[in-house]
Amino acid sequence: MSVLRNMDTDVTYNEIDQTVLKTLESPSRSYWLVIVLLFLGVLVGAACWLYQIFIGIGVGGQNNPVAWGTYLINFVFWVGIAHSGTLISAILYLFRAGWRNPIARAAETMTVFAVCIAGLFPFIHLGRVWMVYYMLPYPNQRNLWPNFQSPLMFDVVAISTYLMVSSLFWYTGMLPDLATVRDRATGFRKKIFSIISIGWTGDFEQWRHYTRGFLFFAALATPLVISVHSVVSWDFALAIVPGWHTTIFAPYFVAGAIHSGLAMVITLMIPLRKIFNYQRFITMDVLENVAKTIIFTGLIVGFAYATEYFIAWYSHNIVEQESFRWRAMGEYQFGFILMVTCNSMIPLLFFVKRIRRTIAWLFGISILVNIGMWFERFVIIIGGVAHGFMPHSWGLYKPTGIEFGIMLGSFCLFFFLFVLFVKHLPSVSMTELKEMVSAGSDNEH
Amino acid sequence: MNRRTFLKIAGLGTISITAACSSQPDETLYSLVHAPDDMVTGQATWYASTCRECPAGCGVLAKNREGRIVKIEGNPLHPINKGKLCIRGQAAVQAIYNPDRILTPMLKESGKWHAVNFGQAEAILRGKAKQAAEKGYNRVRMITEVIGDTLHALFTDALKKWKSEAPLVFEPFAYESLKTANREVFGVDGLPSYRMDKADLLVVFGADFLETWLSPVEYARKFKAMHAVQKGKKGRFIFISPYQSLTGVNSDLWIPCNPGGEAVLAFGILKELLSRNMGHDLPEGIGASILKQLAQFDRTYVTKRSGISEHQYERLLKALLSSENPLVLGTPSAGAGPNSLQTNVAANLLNLLLDPRLTLLDFQNRHRVETAARRIDVLDYIESIRKGASDLVLLNNVNPIFSLPPTSGIKEALDKKSMFVVCFSNFWDETARLSDMVLPVRHPLETWDEYGGHQGMVSTLQPAAGLMNDASTLGDLMLRTAYGKTPPASSYKVHLLARMFDKGKVSGKTGWLKTLQNGGGFGKAAPTDKKFKPSTNTDIAKTLSVTESKSDGIRLIAAPSIRYFDGRGANKVWLSEIPDPLTRVSWQTPVLIHPDTLKKKGWKQENLLRIESKTGALEAPIYKTESVKPGILVMSIGQGHEAYGRYAKGWGQNPLAVLPPATDPASGGPVMSFHPVSVTVSGKKKNLAITSGSRIQHGRKIALTVSLGELISGGKGKKQGLDMNAFPLALPLPEGYHPKRDIYPPHDHDTYRWSMVVDLDRCVGCNACAAACYAENNIGIVGEKRIIEGREMAWLSVERYHNPDRMEEIVFLPMLCQHCDNAPCESVCPVYAPHHSKEGINNQIYNRCIGTRFCAQNCPYKVRRFNWFEWEWPSPSHMQLNPDVTVRAKGVMEKCSFCIQRIKSAHTDAKNEKRLILDGEVLPACVQTCPTEALIFGNLMDKQSRVRKLVADPRAYQVMGYLNTKPAVIYLKKVVQEI
Repeated sequence: MSVLRNMDTDVTYNEIDQTVLKTLESPSRSYWLVIVLLFLGVLVGAACWLYQIFIGIGVGGQNNPVAWGTYLINFVFWVGIAHSGTLISAILYLFRAGWRNPIARAAETMTVFAVCIAGLFPFIHLGRVWMVYYMLPYPNQRNLWPNFQSPLMFDVVAISTYLMVSSLFWYTGMLPDLATVRDRATGFRKKIFSIISIGWTGDFEQWRHYTRGFLFFAALATPLVISVHSVVSWDFALAIVPGWHTTIFAPYFVAGAIHSGLAMVITLMIPLRKIFNYQRFITMDVLENVAKTIIFTGLIVGFAYATEYFIAWYSHNIVEQESFRWRAMGEYQFGFILMVTCNSMIPLLFFVKRIRRTIAWLFGISILVNIGMWFERFVIIIGGVAHGFMPHSWGLYKPTGIEFGIMLGSFCLFFFLFVLFVKHLPSVSMTELKEMVSAGSDNEH
Repeated sequence: MNRRTFLKIAGLGTISITAACSSQPDETLYSLVHAPDDMVTGQATWYASTCRECPAGCGVLAKNREGRIVKIEGNPLHPINKGKLCIRGQAAVQAIYNPDRILTPMLKESGKWHAVNFGQAEAILRGKAKQAAEKGYNRVRMITEVIGDTLHALFTDALKKWKSEAPLVFEPFAYESLKTANREVFGVDGLPSYRMDKADLLVVFGADFLETWLSPVEYARKFKAMHAVQKGKKGRFIFISPYQSLTGVNSDLWIPCNPGGEAVLAFGILKELLSRNMGHDLPEGIGASILKQLAQFDRTYVTKRSGISEHQYERLLKALLSSENPLVLGTPSAGAGPNSLQTNVAANLLNLLLDPRLTLLDFQNRHRVETAARRIDVLDYIESIRKGASDLVLLNNVNPIFSLPPTSGIKEALDKKSMFVVCFSNFWDETARLSDMVLPVRHPLETWDEYGGHQGMVSTLQPAAGLMNDASTLGDLMLRTAYGKTPPASSYKVHLLARMFDKGKVSGKTGWLKTLQNGGGFGKAAPTDKKFKPSTNTDIAKTLSVTESKSDGIRLIAAPSIRYFDGRGANKVWLSEIPDPLTRVSWQTPVLIHPDTLKKKGWKQENLLRIESKTGALEAPIYKTESVKPGILVMSIGQGHEAYGRYAKGWGQNPLAVLPPATDPASGGPVMSFHPVSVTVSGKKKNLAITSGSRIQHGRKIALTVSLGELISGGKGKKQGLDMNAFPLALPLPEGYHPKRDIYPPHDHDTYRWSMVVDLDRCVGCNACAAACYAENNIGIVGEKRIIEGREMAWLSVERYHNPDRMEEIVFLPMLCQHCDNAPCESVCPVYAPHHSKEGINNQIYNRCIGTRFCAQNCPYKVRRFNWFEWEWPSPSHMQLNPDVTVRAKGVMEKCSFCIQRIKSAHTDAKNEKRLILDGEVLPACVQTCPTEALIFGNLMDKQSRVRKLVADPRAYQVMGYLNTKPAVIYLKKVVQEI
């Protein structure tokens, strides 16, 4: 097996434990600075949202005809980010791609946090968020029931399922590591970790159940990657808006989601391995493998772009044709150019070995892909309705400061949670690393 | 924590949580112990009155709910408007409940305003008038708007008591050239009305009879009586003018001519007709002298001077010669270029030649606006005030400082220290600001009066609302101040009644009550056998010469506005909020310029254009349009106020402020078009508050037309299929469903399936429906900034689509919720807020809406409107809100409800009388007011209903029907014809 190529071979169990547990020691001053800055960002977002609740959705840029703005762009963006986490932690696990082990924990954490953030956006988006419980199928004397025909109801179900499964998967996977921390910890921390490691002793029966359970969760999470983002895509594809109403949307969105998620993994891993000295676990080979996958997803996404244009031409549907002509030539041309370049052209640079093995290139390109994928959602979500069926109603949309504030808040919240995570929980799976060191040897922890 | 602390915290916590979580406190509701006889809580009382928003004098019914007027509708019995109202009439109620209305008299002392009470103000007026009368003759002057006979006689009499002359009747649009031409040609110094409905061809030299000209609602109706397709026939309409007003857009052929070229063209046609030996009925020798005078007006000269092509000239002539009942109309009241009198004289002569008995002119029902003084007399009057020794000037509902060019001397005249100026105004307009005392009087809808829009007709006014203050009517004020201790009547109402009895217009008390109930006395006027004999001035030929324009440079035309009339509408917020029918720009006054001119000058739409004249300058954004001739700038009159309340002050631009002061020497009328000294772009940009995205429909089958020929021949048999070009009419009934295109079964409707038919051939694009909708449905006002952001709330917008091949051809498309049977909005809402009712209506349940806005995204017609904010109704404008319609809070979606409140009330009536709702019983606000009856509402399940019969029309189609939404709003294609 080529598993070991992804990690330096002379790594010992002890070194793994030492390195990972070192990350949980008292943080430096710069850590607190980062925490404070991020929290301030979160406060900015919260203040913006509060202001919007009191004044009205109009403080954002949405209008007639563009009734959905950055809130839903960010929703789709964050759901997309979440998916590659699951891809790495679950799908690649099932495929026994060992190179995913060092980054699986961080990727799965990213999934959980990204889904949380994503789940926040539909709330922010609502005109009357205080009435959101109408979407829950709770028994009431008026016999009013939510409309399960609506793709937004699909969303409620899909996102909540996804959040539940991925959190359980994340937690289950973490159990042996939590016990490791418990064993080395003292004082208050020991108490907490005793509780959350729910009596893990590492005996054979526990390991047996653990590995089975982990496998099942992986198997359960895998179809969710496909289904959740398909459902998200149906928010658009089930509408009749030109540029949205197309059957390609489900696979196109799933590929896009993984594309952006992989880029986000690289964006997160590069600073992580640097700060916590994970270079020996998260090696260049691991990053290179992610980069190779990005080439693949980028090609799928590019193919989807081309297909959309082909279908517009082939359908002889003048509304569709005008919609796609305008997408490339209209007021939002910059978004289209960013989307095509960043998502389907720039990742091709990874064909060059030197580029995909240079940290600076990797980091830069991953950021660009993230930007490109954000603009893909912009082009689709805004562009479709801005130039819809009724020419008299055509109009443009521009996000406002409040929306940017909320967006800033969402990114800050994500990184805030992530930064908290790396200092409080093992950010690399010690268990899985150890499996790599000596596959088949006894399971000492 | 001890027990006490715990209890304290728990108690305080509970109180604060319950207090903070309760909803807004209920406002106190009072119930009347003794209600007035005609007031039943929860039920509307309707009072017949007369609209005074312009001199036309349409009959109105004011809907009173608990003492407030909530809506104004046309009076169906009234012969002028037959139950219909224009956009301005709909907005009339906004003067009563205007947040800027002055409620107490204001007195200016040493440059500062302070409030006085009505008694004091009246005493001041009485004293000043007495002093003036003691000083000598003609020391009290009065300028009034056009008013009814009774009030005018009272004013004259009162002024006589003060030893002064009769008041001056001032209207900014006074039809000087038309009146003069009528005097010259017919011997009548007045304004006959036109039997436009009897004509089969209209040739109009610019008169904007659908917007402001004489009596727009009346002429819109009469116009469609001749111009809407009926039994395969359709009257023809040719419009000749340098710019295409809304009226011109409705023509079959617009001939853009040079400003002033209308006269040349009319002369040319006159010559052609005379040389074809028409004109036997003209008095001896006139024909020959005219021919002699017009010797140079041969075809080449005419076409060159008027700037039209030979082909167009040929078409015009051919149409005139081939029609049986042609009617020629002259120039607009304002907006007329040079040679306006000549054009009108020639138009009158043409009528005389083509229809020697003048059957299409009605000299009995003359328009009352003819009593307005000529502009030249107005300027003389002002000059005499300025120079003379008057002591007191009374102004009744006129705003000459806004309406007259700055160099007219009006400012200097009213600013004289030695003179006391009293403004009987309810608003701080430009003139009121300059006066010495503002004495509010009752709004026409709070007044007893009479005003006949046509001479000789009785049309009554009565108070229709609870009063806002202690103001009296102007008639009462006059009775109390001018007559000392012996007034001719105790009140103006008594005076009015006595005079009506005297004149034999009303007989007996029951007669009076009946007149009041009907809104006037509309008995058929006794037909006079006396045939009208025109007495043409024998020197008429002399007037037939045109003045040469000295410069070919850019010319600015100030056009009257359908929304603001002469500017008096500018403080009614609906009129600013509802976009202009042609430009779809709201709140602003853009300059209309032809694309060729823009290209030549390197200007772009939304550039700020600076226009300078000798008297002033203004800056306005450019709007690109093919509706004007190259080289012409058109701006509409009415905005650009420096005062007049929050909705008028500072919005838009006033082209009158840069007009030269000169009057046309021949007719004494104002000149509304001139060459500016300089026209430059300042490099700045101003975003247009435009509600239209694209001007064309991109071939999407939205606003369709059919040629008359094709309609008669029945066209080719259409193959039915599923694509855009072959999709059939899919009715919102079970029969509209077909397994080939539908998966889901049809809806089950209960007795009714409400539906609307929109006849595009009848729609003139006047936007009265939009105003009625704002009034009926409590639609929020968003303002210029929000409209630029795209947040307008109109439930009904009259979209205008240009023909991409010939941009001057426009189709209007009233777009409202289509109440689809297969509604895209219904399926996507997660909480069932859009709900399909048993009667087919797509109800929006505001309480259920959580604001996902998916419905608006999925609506292909884009008729759903979201409440982005909490909209404001500054006090007391909220008093107009319709109590039958919810005022929507922020965060919910709303849209056209087919006026569900009216359907529900019809249900109640029908149930009480144990019957079904009758066809035509339910009239949504838009349908009710449409002056041309382009909108028809009814039950599709009733095989005998009008809508049901109309959907069988070969012109019937659904907007983007190929989406298979099965809309319940069925459109009838506009019928176009080539001339």
